[in-house]
Amino acid sequence: MRIRSWTASCLAASLVVGLAACSSTSSTATNPVVGSTTSAAAGSQAPAAGSSAPAGSTSAGGASSSSSAAPVVTSSGTLVVDTAFQLKTVDPGRMFEPTGLLIDHAMYSTLLTFTGDDVKKPVPDLAESYSASADGKVYTFKLRKDAVFSDGTPVTSADVVFSLNRVANLKGNPSFLMAGITVTAPDASTVVLTSATPNPAIPFIVPNSALGILNSKAVKAAGGSDAVGADSADKAETALNTKSQGSGQYILDSYSTTTQVKLTANPKYWGTKPKYETIIVRNVQANVQKLNVIKGQSQIAVDLSPAQADGLGSSVQTISGASPNVFFLFTNNSATVSKVTSNPDFQEAVRYGVDYDSLVNLAGSGAVQANGIIPTMFLGSLAAGTGIKRDVARAKAALAKSGITDPTVTLSYPSDIQVNGLNFGDLAARVQANLKDVGITVKLAPASVQTALDTYRGGKEEMGLWEWGPDYPDPGDYLNFLPGQVVGKRANWLAGQSPALEALGTKAGATIDDATRVTQYTEIQKMMNQAGPIMPLIQPAQIIVAATSVKNVKANALWLVNLSELG
Amino acid sequence: MSSAEKRTTTTTAAVPVSRKRARHGDLWKFLGKRLGIGVLLVFGVMLVSFLLTQRVPGDPAAANLGQQAIEDPAAVAAFRAKYGLDKPLPVQFLTYVWNVLHGDLGLSQQSHRPVSTDLAEYVPATFELAIFAIVLSLLIGVTFGVLAAVTRDRWPDQVLRVVSLGGVSMPTFWIALMAFYLLFFKWGILPGGGRLDPTQTPPDHITGMYTVDALLHGQWSLFGSALYHLVLPGLVLATYTIGLLLRFTRASVLEILGNDYVRAARAKGLPERVVVMRHVLRPALVSIITVAGVAFGSLLSGAVLVESIFSWPGLGAYAYLSAINLDLPAIMGVSLVVAVVYIGLNLLVDVLYGVIDPRIRLS
Repeated sequence: MRIRSWTASCLAASLVVGLAACSSTSSTATNPVVGSTTSAAAGSQAPAAGSSAPAGSTSAGGASSSSSAAPVVTSSGTLVVDTAFQLKTVDPGRMFEPTGLLIDHAMYSTLLTFTGDDVKKPVPDLAESYSASADGKVYTFKLRKDAVFSDGTPVTSADVVFSLNRVANLKGNPSFLMAGITVTAPDASTVVLTSATPNPAIPFIVPNSALGILNSKAVKAAGGSDAVGADSADKAETALNTKSQGSGQYILDSYSTTTQVKLTANPKYWGTKPKYETIIVRNVQANVQKLNVIKGQSQIAVDLSPAQADGLGSSVQTISGASPNVFFLFTNNSATVSKVTSNPDFQEAVRYGVDYDSLVNLAGSGAVQANGIIPTMFLGSLAAGTGIKRDVARAKAALAKSGITDPTVTLSYPSDIQVNGLNFGDLAARVQANLKDVGITVKLAPASVQTALDTYRGGKEEMGLWEWGPDYPDPGDYLNFLPGQVVGKRANWLAGQSPALEALGTKAGATIDDATRVTQYTEIQKMMNQAGPIMPLIQPAQIIVAATSVKNVKANALWLVNLSELG
Repeated sequence: MSSAEKRTTTTTAAVPVSRKRARHGDLWKFLGKRLGIGVLLVFGVMLVSFLLTQRVPGDPAAANLGQQAIEDPAAVAAFRAKYGLDKPLPVQFLTYVWNVLHGDLGLSQQSHRPVSTDLAEYVPATFELAIFAIVLSLLIGVTFGVLAAVTRDRWPDQVLRVVSLGGVSMPTFWIALMAFYLLFFKWGILPGGGRLDPTQTPPDHITGMYTVDALLHGQWSLFGSALYHLVLPGLVLATYTIGLLLRFTRASVLEILGNDYVRAARAKGLPERVVVMRHVLRPALVSIITVAGVAFGSLLSGAVLVESIFSWPGLGAYAYLSAINLDLPAIMGVSLVVAVVYIGLNLLVDVLYGVIDPRIRLS
């Protein structure tokens, strides 16, 4: 009797809780599915230009989800994109994180842009045309007349000057894009960018979302400044995180760095209207992204690893290709830091001791060997199959020639981050195993990224395993790997240590003609593959999974997916 | 009544009043003392947190500036000046304390907003989740704990002991992943994550707890959705505390059931329900409240994994992001909130002891 009454009480209490909890099921489970219901995308996309690497294939098919529940979050004209947020702000002048680039590209038009996955050819956006001076120092952009901001104000050259000067003077993450560049406006529809030194990368730099053009009047009214001292005087960030002031296809509806950013179509957009009325970009872990997209709770997932994207089902399409991120290994070139790793013969032993194919296999389908330091989809990249191949005999011979016996070196890497779903620790362990075959003992030294960054940037790591993501899709960005440059210095590969290579780098940095640049950058990478402390390893896979109803999904090296182009 | 009798009556009536006043005075003295200790503890937490964050190897500028910006001395200097990192450590700490006293917790390096604004957004989200979880835990844990005790060594007790052991033994992240897979992905009966459907607009901010705010605004559909989204993370978060409270309740009730006064109550012929509710459960509540208080504190500060898996934008997720970004003002802000919550809860538990057990109040 007592048991019965207690059991009854417990069940009643549980029932009350359960009923209360489930009271809203019906109200949220019956929302309609996102607009289009067309069939799966078929075929394959064109491989990335200039590369024979499999840099972009689209597939649909496989087993379907076991769940029969209807999608529950989308309504007609709404697209939900899941990504693990790397977002601090959507103020273009302060933003330089992947999620910010994705979102700002939809809200802010730029002088030039890229279409689809082609980042080799800048095309007009706010500038209908541009010309470069013969010396590569002066770029003149002619603005189109019909472009307006989301409040209907025409876009003028004054807005461009304000926006670009603001980026420079805020001294934030993207300020380096404007280093050495001055902006002037001879008339209302002409903008001139003048570089102190020849800068063929300018047409590839200006499409960056950080250089999105702002409505200068509105931003000034919100406390914005483009003057010297803007780093402390500009107060417009909060306003720009509340209301966008761009001329792109979308405007900001709501913003959070931890939950979601909601964009709605810009009714005043001057070009082709976007398909989706609303785009919601949500902060979701990669493993949950997979379930969401299968379940129909989201239409695009951008952070899946090859393993997670395997066998996703016919309800989704998978766009798989090489990421523009490059994993590389370096051996410290300073004898003070390490007498072992600074030895050129030891460096050759490492270069030929690494099994690049096994690293590609580890990274999964879509990953490719980094033949040179420039990613396969950029101008000047080396052709597939021309990278270093493992040669254990050559590596052992080089080690013997170095005079170093049974070397033990420490390999540092960040252990708490992933890039394209790939752990540094897994790669480091594979490198350790590879080099053991050559006779090199590698001690792994994992550290949190913030700790490891300090030693890496300070040039203190004996050996390091790191990754470089492109700042802009131009080979000039990879001159940072040369002696005396940003990454070169981290390996203590200092100016003057490789004069021929440095001279060629300086020349390539000032060359305008694309054909000549291809030749120069090809030569630079071949020289880096012959000698030096930096060894490019792989480009991991970039996987984008989308519902089959979403068309024209292409991976872009700069902003991941062009939300405005989706059909 | 004679005058002498009147005097006696007046005197005896006056004694309880003065005792009551004295007791009230003691209570205020007790609360004042506890509050004073609490303030000292909060200061201590601030100092220790500050010193520890300074000892962490790593540079906030390096953590927050990009590959190229970190090479630009002007950008690094601007960053350090903006966040006060260019000042000596003692000055940084004293400035921080002074600012905290004026309600300014600094500027977050990860969100570029005042930490107080961030906390105002994230703390209510965690509070909502933790309150839901603790209510669920108390409801289920105490009810079934009593049931297990009164059915000692019979099948309900055996089953509940296994269940409670499972609750306290299984790792929360595993339960979260399994619950997510089964209840959301496989069976589709609960939503996968977030506080609302993506297309819904949160209610206007009053408390920051969506269920409460939706109710206050009379937005029933939004309330339903907020509650619906609360169920899965709330259940997962409550699993451990349900197991814990069930075990504690069972043990406490069993201990009290063996007392003479319980046997006396039964001998008087009182119904078992009355015996348990009046004479057993009330004294057992003292230890249950202690455990519940500590459990609530841990729910607030330990929801990192659950919040991460269920995309719940709470204090745990904020703390995690702060840590990986070396966002020192945010780390300090989170530490402060957790310290205040723990101290506040302990104080509340102490006061509740007195409410439940008059002997404690008198002593």
